[in-house]
Amino acid sequence: MTGPKEHRVKSLAELPEAIEPPRDLWPGIEARLKAQVAVSGTGASPARARLGQLRWLAAAAMVASVAVGVWIGRDVVPLSAPVPNLAQATAPQVTPAQQAAAVDAAFVSDPRYARQRAELLQSLQARLDAMPQPARAKVTASLAAIETAKKDLESALGKDPSNALLQELLINTYQDEMRALTDVHEASDPGRGI
Amino acid sequence: MQAQSQENRVEWEGALVQRAVAGDSRAFERLYREHSGRVYGLCLRMTRDPQLAEDCTQDTFINAWKALKQFETRSSLGTWLHRIAVNVSLGKRRKATPVLEAQPEDEDGTLGGWTFETPVEVRELESAIGDLPEGARDALVLHALYGYSHGEAAQMLGIAEGTCKAQLHRARKLLRERLNLEVN
Repeated sequence: MTGPKEHRVKSLAELPEAIEPPRDLWPGIEARLKAQVAVSGTGASPARARLGQLRWLAAAAMVASVAVGVWIGRDVVPLSAPVPNLAQATAPQVTPAQQAAAVDAAFVSDPRYARQRAELLQSLQARLDAMPQPARAKVTASLAAIETAKKDLESALGKDPSNALLQELLINTYQDEMRALTDVHEASDPGRGI
Repeated sequence: MQAQSQENRVEWEGALVQRAVAGDSRAFERLYREHSGRVYGLCLRMTRDPQLAEDCTQDTFINAWKALKQFETRSSLGTWLHRIAVNVSLGKRRKATPVLEAQPEDEDGTLGGWTFETPVEVRELESAIGDLPEGARDALVLHALYGYSHGEAAQMLGIAEGTCKAQLHRARKLLRERLNLEVN
């Protein structure tokens, strides 16, 4: 708990009512609020609203991944530039229908991807701990936004597995996550620095 | 002067609520910034787990957003948020650690102002409160720390007012033992 703890009090009423959270919780709340707005938006069918929400989430994940690079003071991939694409390395040009089956294979089951991701996640906490607190809080919030987007997209794909747009959004989000994890990893490498 | 200030605050919050109801998330962010400390403080004291308290705080504001249309702008937004926070914290605490609720004592405590004969270190006091059994701690935090009446605290916790008083009596007894001093 934060606050002046060294002083003494003579009644319970003197204890501070407010304790500031150790990190800014608003980004996580805001992401969920946007989802609510998209779902309950007037005039939109539930499916369209849901898609709009997921588009927003994927966009938020992309912004979050770029933000990770910014927070840790690294060069980031320009928004308009093609993303270094694991999908291109693992999945050939396929029709949207074929992509439905390829998404998991490309991003979840591919052993190289899975291994690299596992290694990055394993060292993530130590690398976050090595960061200055403000940067750590922001990076953590960004990674949380990416995670939320991934889960929601995966959930939506579970209900509509052949939706090409959802597949593309999910692929982009996995790339965003990998890029953010790589940025954190490289930024805290000895000699490269934050 | 204070009443005027309170009135202005209610009006300001009411305006922000109206904007938030219309979908303005920036207005809701202002409300979050204004109230997050008190909400997190309550959640942390009820759950004793910083991570769980963060989750509860987020869920409180998400639930508030969903129910914002039902909020009466002339009443206290802080109290309304606290009601939601108590519900969320109780729910998450039950999921996290299903425990048998301690039985309150039969005594109907007549409570004073929760003052100490000798000043107590804040850290020591927070720790002693944190070590109280859940039922006693909930009642104490809401009544003695956040200033809710017995009835309000009981309503928030979903217990009878007499039970709330008994829990407070128990809390005082335990605090007295743990702090080794008189609690008036």
